[in-house]
Amino acid sequence: MAEVRLDCMYEACPIPLLKAHKKLQQMEIGDVLILETDHNCSIKNVVDWVKKQGHNVDYIELNEGEWEIYIEKAK
Amino acid sequence: MTSKAIEELKRRRQGEFKKKNSQIPYAVIVTAISLIIYTICIKLNHHSTFWMIGLLFGITLQRSRFCFAASFRDPILVGSTAILKAILIALIVSTIGFTIVEYASIGDAGELDKIRTLGQVYPVGLHTVIGAIMFGIGMVIAGGCASGFLMRIGEGFLLQVVVLFGFLMGALVGTWQFEFWDKILISKAPTVFFPDYVDFPIATIVQVIVLVALYYVADWYDKKNNIMVM
Repeated sequence: MAEVRLDCMYEACPIPLLKAHKKLQQMEIGDVLILETDHNCSIKNVVDWVKKQGHNVDYIELNEGEWEIYIEKAK
Repeated sequence: MTSKAIEELKRRRQGEFKKKNSQIPYAVIVTAISLIIYTICIKLNHHSTFWMIGLLFGITLQRSRFCFAASFRDPILVGSTAILKAILIALIVSTIGFTIVEYASIGDAGELDKIRTLGQVYPVGLHTVIGAIMFGIGMVIAGGCASGFLMRIGEGFLLQVVVLFGFLMGALVGTWQFEFWDKILISKAPTVFFPDYVDFPIATIVQVIVLVALYYVADWYDKKNNIMVM
């Protein structure tokens, strides 16, 4: 169970989503991707996309305007 | 949808990052200042009411993470229409809302000219297409439309301060070039206003039906397409 960190600070939508998609393809089942972002659009569109694809996902706000999205590859 | 591994990670990370300082006092101060400015300026003219509406719009946009850029980009780029469906619902609500406002303000349903002046009806033509393409390209590169990037500057997303300069320059060039576009395209384009052809209530109902149909098409597209499947 590896943890992979992905820095998407200062990246505008939809770059975080495209980066996450690329990274997830290289990961094994059960690995967790930690995506750091400060773009609030990502919370909506990354989380929605991951849910639609059927992986596990959740996020927290670390500081005001700074989020971490956790994605566990489920299949 | 969450899992054990994610829950554990969340708990660990939340422990590492204690929230340093609360922003709530700033919010209270800013709210108080804007209310004071509002009460002073409302005596002069109505503009401060619009300012208040703008502030409330901003809060709604920020809390809902609503994004017009994403709504039109995501269906093509990632195949998700969740935000587009939200836009369609907003259009349905505003169509009905505007009808009520327009009826209430003119009193008599027969006076179409009054509705026309009230509901800002503009000519449509080739200039709409050119403008839409230019705006669309800019919007996706900038990572947000006019309302979205202003809201994110307020939130502290630094990249969009650069966008602000581009936006100001674009608005300036647009105003400067407007006469040119007006001469070659806008003045020749027809103004389409449905209530000219059918009754006002029928126009409203037809528009709502079309929007509902589009909603179902968007819903179907979301399930059907396989762009960016994992």
